[in-house]
Amino acid sequence: MAEAHAVALPGAPSFFREKVLLGMGWGEYLRSLATPWNALAAVILVVGIPLLAYRFAAGLGATTALTQAYPWGIWIGFDMMTGIVLAAGGFTIGATVQLLGLKDYHGIERSAILTAFLGYLMAVFGLLADLGRPWNIVQAMFNYGSASPLFEVAWCVMCYTTVLLLEFTVPFFEWMGWRKLHAVLKKMLIALTVLSVIFSTMHQAALGSLFLLAPTKLHPLWYSPFIFIFFFISAILAGISMAIIESTISHRVFARQLTGKHVDVDGLVVGLGKAGAVVAFAYFFIKLQGVIDGHAWGHLLTGWGALFLVETVGLVLVPSMLFAYGARHNKAKAVKVAAVMVIGGIILNRLNVSVIAFNWTSATRYVPSWMEVWISLTLVTLGVVAFRWIVNRMPILREDSAFPQGH
Amino acid sequence: MRLTRRGFLKVATVTAGAGLAAAGTARAAGPAPVDPGLPGVLVDTTRCAGCRACEGACAEVNQNPAPDAAADLSVRRDTSQHVFTVVNQAEGPAGEPRFGKKQCMHCLAPACASACPVRAMDKLPSGPVVYDASRCMGCRYCMVACAFDIPKYEYERAAPRVRKCGFCAERQAAGLEPACTSACPTGAITFGKRAALLDEAKRRIYAEGSRYVRRVYGEHEVGGTSWLYISDIPFEQLALATGMPERPYSDLVAGALSAPPFVMTLWPPLLMGLYAFSKRRTEIEQKEDHHG
Amino acid sequence: MTSDFLSIYPAKLMEYGLGVTYLLLFIPMWRYVQGGRRQEAAAVASTRRDAERWPAVAVAAPWPSLGWFQVPAGVALHPGHTWARLEADGLVSVGIDDFAQRLVSPTTVELPRAGALVMQGEGAVALGDGRRSVPLVSPVSGTVVSVNRAVAEDPKLLQNAYGTGWLFKVKAPRLEADQRQLLHAGAARHFLDGEAEALAMRASPEVGQVLQDGGAPVDGLARALAGDDGWEALAREFFHTEKGTP
Repeated sequence: MAEAHAVALPGAPSFFREKVLLGMGWGEYLRSLATPWNALAAVILVVGIPLLAYRFAAGLGATTALTQAYPWGIWIGFDMMTGIVLAAGGFTIGATVQLLGLKDYHGIERSAILTAFLGYLMAVFGLLADLGRPWNIVQAMFNYGSASPLFEVAWCVMCYTTVLLLEFTVPFFEWMGWRKLHAVLKKMLIALTVLSVIFSTMHQAALGSLFLLAPTKLHPLWYSPFIFIFFFISAILAGISMAIIESTISHRVFARQLTGKHVDVDGLVVGLGKAGAVVAFAYFFIKLQGVIDGHAWGHLLTGWGALFLVETVGLVLVPSMLFAYGARHNKAKAVKVAAVMVIGGIILNRLNVSVIAFNWTSATRYVPSWMEVWISLTLVTLGVVAFRWIVNRMPILREDSAFPQGH
Repeated sequence: MRLTRRGFLKVATVTAGAGLAAAGTARAAGPAPVDPGLPGVLVDTTRCAGCRACEGACAEVNQNPAPDAAADLSVRRDTSQHVFTVVNQAEGPAGEPRFGKKQCMHCLAPACASACPVRAMDKLPSGPVVYDASRCMGCRYCMVACAFDIPKYEYERAAPRVRKCGFCAERQAAGLEPACTSACPTGAITFGKRAALLDEAKRRIYAEGSRYVRRVYGEHEVGGTSWLYISDIPFEQLALATGMPERPYSDLVAGALSAPPFVMTLWPPLLMGLYAFSKRRTEIEQKEDHHG
Repeated sequence: MTSDFLSIYPAKLMEYGLGVTYLLLFIPMWRYVQGGRRQEAAAVASTRRDAERWPAVAVAAPWPSLGWFQVPAGVALHPGHTWARLEADGLVSVGIDDFAQRLVSPTTVELPRAGALVMQGEGAVALGDGRRSVPLVSPVSGTVVSVNRAVAEDPKLLQNAYGTGWLFKVKAPRLEADQRQLLHAGAARHFLDGEAEALAMRASPEVGQVLQDGGAPVDGLARALAGDDGWEALAREFFHTEKGTP
C-alpha cells in the first residue's frame, strides 16, 4: 500500500501513480480490476448509466410505472427514503465516539461516516432522477415553502450532506497530506458531530412527517401523528444495524489493510448489539402504541395486519431478542443476523409507508418498471464502487502513520 | 456503564419528541373565522342538466383539447393533465340522471400548497389555488397530499407540469366569473362570495325539507373548500371523495413542523452535556488507572 | 380516522396497559442484555487500551546495548530476566531474555501447562542442563493459553530469545498494573547493561579482561564463571529465584 510520502520518480507523474493507481502502472492497475465483483458491477453500470441518460431524455412516463394514483415510486420510497435511513450510521456512530466518548468505536467511525456520505449522495441522485423538473431543485433555496415538511427535508439534507462532506474531508486531507486544513477540520469535529445529530434528527423525522398529509391514503396501521417519532427512532436503529453490517463486511473485504493492527470488530459488534436490543425493544412498543392511539387495532386481523405484524414482530421484536441473546453471550454471529433482519424490517417499513400500504384503498397497485429497478440498482452499485475506491486509498479503515490518532 | 448513556439519550429523545408532538397537536382549538370576501361556487346538482358546457368553456380558456362529445358519462371519469373538469353521471332518487362536476376544490387551507416546498402550488390571497411551473421542481408531493386527488402530472413530457383547475384566477382578477360558471345555462353552478353561497345553500336545504342531503359538501371537508355542493343523493355516488378529516391539512403537519426549532435549541446543550459528562468520566477513569 | 367518543376508553386502557407492560418487561430485558461475561469485555477493552499505549510500530534494528545483551522494542523486561510482549490478538507472549539464555544455555526447558495460573514474580518456567535446573519468574499474571512445544523439544530455539524462542502465551487481565513493574525501552537497556557489568564483576580478572575487550560472551556463561556446581546458584541470584524465596 502506498504510504503518505511522495517520492519523485523521474519522469513519472508520481502523485497520480502513488495515490490513485495505488503505486501501479496503468496496465497493472487495469489488470488488477478484473475480479468477479467488478464484472458484476460493470454489467449493472453498462446498462444502468445509459438508462439514466434515457430517463432524462425521454422523461418519467417512458421509464417508470408511475401513475396519477401513484406519484411516488421506488426512487422516492427506496432510493431516497430507505437510502437516507440506511445512512444513519454516520450520526449514530459519530455521536457514540465523539459525544458519548466510546473511543473503542473509532475503528468503525470513519467507514460509517463514509457510508453515510455516499448514501446521501446516492439518495440525492435518486431524487434528481425522480424529479420532473430537477433543474428547479435550487428553487428551494429562494422560495420558502416553509409550511411543507418536504421543505424541511430538502434544507436539512442539504445542510447534513455538507456536514458529512466536511467530516469526510478529515481522512481526505490526511490522504492528500494537507496538514493545516486537516488540523482545522479535526478541531471542528465535535461541532460537526453535534450538527450532524441535529440535522439528522430533523430530517429523519421530517421524512416521516411527509406522510402526515396523507391520512386518507396511508393505511391506518402505519398512519399516526407520531410517525415522525417512529422514523427517527428507526433511523437510530438503522444506524446501529448498518454499522454492524458495514464494519463486518469492510473489515473482511479490506482485511489486508488491517494486518498488524488489531481492531476487535466482533467486540464492537457485540457492544452495538446491546444498544440495538434496547432500541429495537422500545421501537416495537412505540409502534404498538401508535396503533392503539389511532384506534386501529381492528386492522391487525386483516391481510394488512399480517404485513404489519411481519414488519414489527418478525423484523423488530424478534431481532431485538436476538440482539439481546448475542450481546449477553458474546455471540457476534447472532448480532449480525439480527442486524440484517432489522435492516430488512426498516426497508420494508419505508416501502410500506411510501408505496405498499400507500393508497391502500385503490383498486390498482404500483409495481416498479424494470428500468426503475435497474436504475436503483445502478445508484447502489455506484455507491459501493465509490466506497471501495475511497477505502482502498484513503485512511478510512487503516491509520495513516503521518496522522496518528491521538485520543 | 455505557448503555446508561445511550439509554438516556434514547429516552430523552423519545420524551422530547412525544412532548413536542403533544404540544403541537394540542393547538388549533377551533375553526378560524373565514374571510367573508373569499370567492366560492355553489354547485346544486339537482339543477345540472349534464350539458357539459362547463367542460367546453374550461377547455377553451385553458387551451386544452375540447372534451370528447361521445364520452359515456355514466362511466366514472377523472380529471387528467389535459382535462381540468369532468361531469360524471349518477342516478337520482326517482331514477332520473344526476350529474356531479369534479374539479379542484380550492380549499381554504389547501393541502397541495402546504405540501409544496417551493410554493409552486400557492394560495392567492384572493382565494384561488394556483400553480407556477417556473418554480415547480416536479416532486409531486402535491399529488400525494391532495385528499381529492386533483393534481395530475404530465409524465409524458420532458418538462412536465402539474395540471389542475386554476379557478380562472386571471379572469377573476379582471372582475369576470370563471369560464365554467358563466357558461352554465341552468344556474347549477353559481359564482359568488363563499359566505353568501353557504347561506344560500343552507337556505335551499331547509326550504326544500327532505329533498336534499342535509349537509353542504365542502363546508367542513379538510377545513372548508371554496366549491360547495348540495345534492339530493349521497355525495359518493357523484364521484365526490368523502371520508377525509375536517381538520385543515396544514394542522396535521403543524405539530411535526414546530419541532425543528426546539430540536435546534435543545439538542446542543443536551449533546454537549453528554460530551462533557463522558469526558469527565474518562478523565476520572484515567486518574484512577494511574493511582491504582 | 373518525372514532366515536366512547372508543377512547378502551384505547386509553390499552395504551396505559401496554406502557406498564413495557416497563415491567424492560427491567428483565435490560438485566439480560447487560449480564453475561462482563469481565471478558472489560479485559478485552483494557488490553485494547494497552495496545494503544504499547505502539506496535516495529523498529527494524534492536537498539544496541553494551553490545552484549539485546532487547528489542515492544518488549517489556522483568528484572528476573523474563520478558512480556502484547500480541495483536490481545494475548501476552512470555519468554526469557537474551541475558538468561546466554547465562544458562539450557538443554532442558520446563514449561507450564495450558490453563495453569501464573503470577508475576512467581516461578513459571525452569531451565536446566540435565542435572540441575533453575526456575525463572513470570513477568505477568494470568492464565496460560498456549505453550511453545517446539522450544520444549529443542531448547536451541531459545537462541532466538525474543522470536521463535517464546515460551508461552497468557491471558493477562491485569496487564495494565503488571506492566508498571516491568522495564521498557531505555530502562530495559540500562538494566541489561547493569547486569552485564555485574556479571563482569563476578568473572576472574582474566575472563573479565577478555569480556571487556569486546569479546562476545560465550554461551553458558554461568557455567563458565561458576563451574558445574555453582552455576545454579549464580543464575538463581540473577533470576531472583534464590532458594528460600517463594
